[in-house]
Amino acid sequence: MCSRRRIAVVIPAFNEEKSIGEVVHSIRGLGEGFDAIVINDNSTDRTTEVALKAGAVVIELPCNLGIGGAVQTGYKFARDRGYDACIQVDGDGQHPADQIPRLIAPLFEDGYDMVIGSRFVTDSDYEISFMRLVGIKVLSFFLKITTGMDVKDTTSGFRAINRKVLELFANEYPQDYPEPESLVFAHKKGLRVKEIPTRMASRMYGKSSITPILSAYYMIKVMLAMFIDLFKK
Amino acid sequence: MLHMQFIIGLISIGFFIVTFEFIRKRYLREEYAILWLLTSLAIAVLSLWPGLIDIISRITGFYYITAILIVIFVFLIAILMHYSIVISRIKDMNKELVQRYALLEYKIKELEEKKNLK
Repeated sequence: MCSRRRIAVVIPAFNEEKSIGEVVHSIRGLGEGFDAIVINDNSTDRTTEVALKAGAVVIELPCNLGIGGAVQTGYKFARDRGYDACIQVDGDGQHPADQIPRLIAPLFEDGYDMVIGSRFVTDSDYEISFMRLVGIKVLSFFLKITTGMDVKDTTSGFRAINRKVLELFANEYPQDYPEPESLVFAHKKGLRVKEIPTRMASRMYGKSSITPILSAYYMIKVMLAMFIDLFKK
Repeated sequence: MLHMQFIIGLISIGFFIVTFEFIRKRYLREEYAILWLLTSLAIAVLSLWPGLIDIISRITGFYYITAILIVIFVFLIAILMHYSIVISRIKDMNKELVQRYALLEYKIKELEEKKNLK
């Protein structure tokens, strides 16, 4: 890859003091051109201090906006600072930094607008609950019949976007269920989306925000939101 | 009948006073309070002029109390819808402000650090 390119690694973080240092550190290990940008979504712990110490740019939200609003803040920052591409990485350590160049490469080499790191791959040590797996499959099927898009891991937050999409998302980004909803958005804008299998780690700390009991309810809400997105102006 | 008229009249006056107090104490903005002032006015008119109900029911064909309840229900739904729209808009504006604030705060810190280095 060209060494002149600047990549913004956007890390939305809410109370991730235990894992954020390691995440930032591993991104810094990628070398020149990769900047770790932590968006602290009004955490009550020491996320900011730990991230700063590890060498990240830290932007602190004065109110909790949720993942969509936090990621969009990062996109706005990257847009204003002239980054060439952006990659979203979770603050809990489940997205290994060594996979970042793999996700970025198709943007520049094959002209894709968005690349999604998918956890469905054999050598992944990512453990997934049965309900979550069913949910992801249903969402994937729903996306397929409504838009024709072929994305297996619709809720993956590990995704890279080029400058064009960066500008689009900085202006308008779904707030409620940003991962699946932004796929519908991408479809409507005619973006080229690629999904590549990615090794993922189990969460170092904390639990998924989606509990099994709530996942059916979550799925219905997400599908409804995606369906409505299809008709949004 | 007179008894009921009296009670409805009291309700409308109470409603009006409460709304007025809320505006005075700035809990409510005038633009949203107008709806409630008009509502209390409508109740007052009905209590002073019960014949109006008959006239309305003759014009609209709503003769039964259930029909009147439906009208009230629709009215309340419309108000709730209006508030949902207002809340959504405010939430969106809040999001934009929070993001802009955070980005500007970062910029200030950055400038201060640069200044300190000189």
